[in-house]
Amino acid sequence: MTEPGFVLPTLTLVALATWLPAVAFALIMIFLRPHPRQAAGLSIAAVSVSLLSAVWLLIRHWHLSTPIHFTVRWVASGDLTIPFGFLLDPVSLLMLTVVAVICFLVQVYSLGYMAGDPGFWRYYAFMSLFAWAMTSLTVSLTLIQLYIFWELVGLASYLLIGFWYEKFSASEARKKAFVMTRFGDVAFFLGLLLLLIHFGNLDIMELNGPTPAERMSPLLLTVSSLLIFGGIIGKSAQFPLLTWLPDAMEGPTPVSALLHSATMVAAGVYLFARLLPLFSHSTTAMAVFLAIGTISMVAASTMAMVSRDIKRVWAYSTISQLGYMIMGLAAGGFFAGVFHLTTHAGFKALLFLCSGVFIHHFGTNDMVEIGRHGGRSLKIPMVCMIIGAAALAGLPPLSGFFSKELILGVLADRPNPIWVATALLGVFLTAYYTFRLIFVILFPRTVDKVKVQHGEDNHADRTSDRLMGWPLIILSAVTLLLGFFEAPLEHFLARGLAAVEPAGGHTWVLFSSLGLAAIALALSWFEFGRRGADQVGFVERIPWLYDFFAERWYIDRFYRFALDRFVYRGIAALCAQNDQKVIDGSIDGLSRGTVNTGRRIAFLHTGMIQYRLLIIFVAMVLLGMFFIF
Amino acid sequence: MIVSFGHVLVLSGLLFLLGTVCAVTRRNLIMILLGVEIMLNAATIAFVGAALRWHDMEGQVFVLFIFAVAAAEVSVGLALIIGVYRRTGSVDPSNFNLLK
Repeated sequence: MTEPGFVLPTLTLVALATWLPAVAFALIMIFLRPHPRQAAGLSIAAVSVSLLSAVWLLIRHWHLSTPIHFTVRWVASGDLTIPFGFLLDPVSLLMLTVVAVICFLVQVYSLGYMAGDPGFWRYYAFMSLFAWAMTSLTVSLTLIQLYIFWELVGLASYLLIGFWYEKFSASEARKKAFVMTRFGDVAFFLGLLLLLIHFGNLDIMELNGPTPAERMSPLLLTVSSLLIFGGIIGKSAQFPLLTWLPDAMEGPTPVSALLHSATMVAAGVYLFARLLPLFSHSTTAMAVFLAIGTISMVAASTMAMVSRDIKRVWAYSTISQLGYMIMGLAAGGFFAGVFHLTTHAGFKALLFLCSGVFIHHFGTNDMVEIGRHGGRSLKIPMVCMIIGAAALAGLPPLSGFFSKELILGVLADRPNPIWVATALLGVFLTAYYTFRLIFVILFPRTVDKVKVQHGEDNHADRTSDRLMGWPLIILSAVTLLLGFFEAPLEHFLARGLAAVEPAGGHTWVLFSSLGLAAIALALSWFEFGRRGADQVGFVERIPWLYDFFAERWYIDRFYRFALDRFVYRGIAALCAQNDQKVIDGSIDGLSRGTVNTGRRIAFLHTGMIQYRLLIIFVAMVLLGMFFIF
Repeated sequence: MIVSFGHVLVLSGLLFLLGTVCAVTRRNLIMILLGVEIMLNAATIAFVGAALRWHDMEGQVFVLFIFAVAAAEVSVGLALIIGVYRRTGSVDPSNFNLLK
């Protein structure tokens, strides 16, 4: 911070990494509408420069000891000043790199996936918008700045979920996602206001210092933490607000990979990691967070067990993995949560992109259909998907194994054994539903010999396959190798934080989780994989349990009911009455009065020119007499 | 000056009154136009008298101007009346009350 020669290149790099996609977005929206290919090129060029800058920043500041921050005054009105700037510490550097990498890979992949779509330019414009908002979110200096980009990310999500807006379900899904996340964001904003009023500052570094605990009462801290967590619940689709994420799968698959699994929904967890020192002041709030993470984790895994839609399974598993991260963070395992966030971004994007290849080829989301049409004939995506699935299930030596073990270790440190027990149940469920999907696609009961026709453009098809293949291979490599970078990453992240949690040496947790995963794998093999299996899961044999899971624990039904009962019949009816009786009535009365008055005075107006002439003369004569005499 | 200025003004005032009554009361567009012309001429008589009274030629110049304006006005007015007659078949001003 002291020597300008050190700060200036960093500042340039951050500005490049965050604002180039914004430039690309503006240019595409204004100029490149009729040139979809150039639009895609511009967007990818911007995001690749952004990626290079992010990686360079990460390498440059690998030995970062104190956070770098840069501030300018953005708005000054009276006593209120809103600063704007960048804050670079290990977490934000890591997140920035993760976001840039996934953005880049997904945009390259989309060249193949979205080829020929009439909204190609629009897609890349929105992708750039998202890249800008998300990268800026990660390096935000204050919570206000973070909140602005938080909402922009939500906007990008809304636009991309409803990308195929002609589809009714897609436009419904985008509304649902927008409203539900906004519900949480209101709480978030109230929390921010509370902090602003009682603490007077929303600088993340100051909030994480010791001052909030001195200046605010414990009750206020708890309330504001809970309110801010409301935003996290909305964005990361945690327990009461989790049903928007499965519906958000109406968007194109690369969008689901980028926004609704790897980066945007992880923004909630990122915010949690960001404010962990602040939240840690309140043990009550942390207990609530832990409970909510746990409930979401279990609930979403059970929902994933009965879904046949391949993308929805991954959506549920995203919710449950985010629940894991929140559990880890809420239990105090900063590194565990952030590391799981990083590995999850890799393998979940991989899973979605692989599913995208299947969906692209077979034109269906149903895993049974894909299996029947010969999904296993697509070698690269199948292998990559198995790698991703194994990482998701926490099998060694893939990245998911390392991060999940860390979270389990942190949870095992808690005095109450219920958390680690539930987490182990989650491990079992995760491995079960993951391999259910894999086995259904890999070993279909009946195989249709009819090959899917690709039409004449075989050459174009091969190009798009290659474009879609490379990101898969890169992400698989990341998934395979990232776990072995646990120690250096931990070292890197620990520098930002003074206190490092002691590494828990719970070997029993390691073995029991591996054992449970193996049992779940065997169970799903028995039910779905082995020759002659009838491919009916044990949940589906219990009708009421199946209904309960398939109906998403009746959460949506409850929302529907509450909406009909209280919003439509209560508030909306009152508003309608007010509109019809009071507002319409007064306007109608006013206009009717005007018309009636007009009718009454209309006799003065005969439309006869000679009368007017006469009146003019009389008036002139009277005026003349007035002036002369 | 044989005729006194007062008499000239009385003549012009009477003519103006005649023109006014004609313009206001007659139920024929042409007669209204004629009334307006008579009012203009009444004004020119007053101008001529005044020019004689103060020995100043400006009054007579004004009279020439008024002739020109009156000629132009009559041509436009007659054209309008012809147009109106062709459209409606009537020159009665009480029929033209669409603005009512």
